[in-house]
Amino acid sequence: MASLTLRNVRKRYEAAEVIHGVDLDIEDGEFVVFVGPSGCGKSTLLRMIAGLEEISDGSISIGETEVNEVAASKRGVAMVFQTYALYPHMTVYKNMAFGLKQAKTPADEIDRRVRAAADILQITDYLDRSPRHLSGGQRQRVAIGRAIVRDPKVFLFDEPLSNLDAALRVQTRLEIARLHERLKTTMIYVTHDQVEAMTLADKIVVLRDGVIEQVGSPIALYEKPQNAFVAQFIGSPKMNFFAASDLSKKASKILKTDLTDDMQIGLRPEHMQVCKAADAVVTGTLELVENLGEVALVHLITDTGASFIAKTEKPPKEAKGEAISFTILPELAHYFDKTSGHRIES
Amino acid sequence: MNNRAIARLLQTPAVLLLLVWMLVPLGLTLYFSFLRYVLNSLRKPEWTVPQLSNWRGFGNYEYVLYKSKDFWFAIQNSLFIVGSILVITVVLGLAIAVLVNRSFPGRGIVRVLLISPFFVMPAVNAVLWINMILDPVLGLNGLAVEGINHMVAGLKDFPLLGHFFSLWPELEPISFRATQTSAYAVIMMVAWQWTPFAVLIFMTSLQSEDQQQKEAALLDGASAWSQFIYLTIPHLARPIAIVVMIQSIFHLSLYAEIEIVSRGNGNKNLPYLIGEFTSNNIGAASATGIFAVILANIVAIFLLRMVGKNLVD
Ligand SMILES: Nc1ncnc2c1ncn2[C@@H]1O[C@H](COP(=O)(O)OP(=O)(O)OP(=O)(O)O)[C@@H](O)[C@H]1O
Ligand SMILES: [Mg+2]
Repeated sequence: MASLTLRNVRKRYEAAEVIHGVDLDIEDGEFVVFVGPSGCGKSTLLRMIAGLEEISDGSISIGETEVNEVAASKRGVAMVFQTYALYPHMTVYKNMAFGLKQAKTPADEIDRRVRAAADILQITDYLDRSPRHLSGGQRQRVAIGRAIVRDPKVFLFDEPLSNLDAALRVQTRLEIARLHERLKTTMIYVTHDQVEAMTLADKIVVLRDGVIEQVGSPIALYEKPQNAFVAQFIGSPKMNFFAASDLSKKASKILKTDLTDDMQIGLRPEHMQVCKAADAVVTGTLELVENLGEVALVHLITDTGASFIAKTEKPPKEAKGEAISFTILPELAHYFDKTSGHRIES
Repeated sequence: MNNRAIARLLQTPAVLLLLVWMLVPLGLTLYFSFLRYVLNSLRKPEWTVPQLSNWRGFGNYEYVLYKSKDFWFAIQNSLFIVGSILVITVVLGLAIAVLVNRSFPGRGIVRVLLISPFFVMPAVNAVLWINMILDPVLGLNGLAVEGINHMVAGLKDFPLLGHFFSLWPELEPISFRATQTSAYAVIMMVAWQWTPFAVLIFMTSLQSEDQQQKEAALLDGASAWSQFIYLTIPHLARPIAIVVMIQSIFHLSLYAEIEIVSRGNGNKNLPYLIGEFTSNNIGAASATGIFAVILANIVAIFLLRMVGKNLVD
């Protein structure tokens, strides 16, 4: 178990810099999730922590020691890869025992730890099988088991669930949450699935183009996104953005905020409530309804041409082409500077 | 006629041709191996014609097995040469393939150069090696030994240390056409020629090796050597089996190199022995040929098992 400190960490490939100075503190036992769009540098950052990529600039410390120059195997980290990366020519047991064997651990100690890990992950029955003869979910557990037996200070996961089908993903996500509960080890988890991020994380790190956009608890990111990017990245369907001119004349009064033209107003689909035309913050023409059963996603477009989505409990009675008005509680509206994208506190 | 029958019918000419192609020589060899049949004999001119009245039963086989002095030596030597070449080419091939698999400037050129020995004709390869490299006087072998002797001789005049060097024996270049060494010459030149083949096969296979597995092993604390032993070698099991199989087939029938190095002096294999018999005793040559077929089949079955097991996995 250990805390982790990143100071001004940079990564350059030849001329191109892909991580532009990342500062981050991770506390002992925390579950941290890196999210961001594809290519933003999540894997690169994780691999730098693991020791698989060199650190071009800045420093990474695990516990009290700076690990920039420490070999990957000596950092006390274990990684679970997206493709599992199991050793194909070894049985499950040998896969899990390999690291301990390399460290010259006594055989009975190896056996004890492998069996303990197999027990936690319920893979005891497969110990003698070759990875080839396992399903995706079972392989994933073996990969996690291989990480557990080494008793690392930090667990690193690089999109571990992306190769699993939807049902298995939910189940394995729960198992990882349970595992963290049980081991209480520091874990860093990379994903671009925001549901995974929201459900697993103690702390989410949102990355974009090699820069941290915001760090915070899932709920903080949802309730107080620091900029337009985070606001749209967290939450599904994503937050609607309007210009002041898209909203009704009364909007300023209802939202208790002076709406100006250099402002973007962000309203989450799930916070929009149908209302009378007279009380509307925004009015749109109905374009399409996606009925998901428990809720309906209503796609609309304002007279000024801004399209937006509202999440309602029941599909609206209005037909396509008819207008629907929405209002929202003032404390649930978000405001961002149009040019910089920074949050404006109302 | 249904479709199957038509297909069979259409295949027939090709199958017949193949059968004739294989069965006629094999049948004739088998037939001759039971006859007294020589190319020329003043004493018994009737033996120069292959006819049933010259029937000898298993006499040729007995002669080859018990009377001719070279048969067992040829078998032993065949296996020795093939085995040595296999070990050398696989080990060297692995080492070189792993070495050139990393990226370095000029890698493309190095790869092309590495493959080039494979395009040299076997006879040319043998002539080059035996004359330009292994020759005890004119070849690199002779020149190098002469150079070393010369240098040691020069150092003898050195104060103090000179005494030490004067204790050194004068080195003699090894003659690779001699009875004791000619097999080694053949092994060397064939290994040189076929190592590129192994390199080529291993290199393509190394490129498909999973890099994340290696990274996982790195995090598991595996040294480069452990990674090689536990990941790379198992990954290469199939290509190794293929290299071994193809080379065994080719090297059991080595001929040109043996002929050029020492004309079979101290170094024969079954094909060479057959060649020697063919100069007169066709009956014995045929019997040896049948033995060669049997040996090749034993090796083939053994190899197919090995490769087959690898391919099934
Ligand atoms: N070896 C490399 N050489 C040059 N550029 C690289 C190299 N590896 C990664 N990059 C670049 O670094 C950036 C970050 O890559 P990275 O793999 O960390 O993205 P990611 O956030 O993990 O994306 P994804 O969600 O698709 O996995 C990308 O723009 C990529 O093109
Ligand atoms: Mg990635």
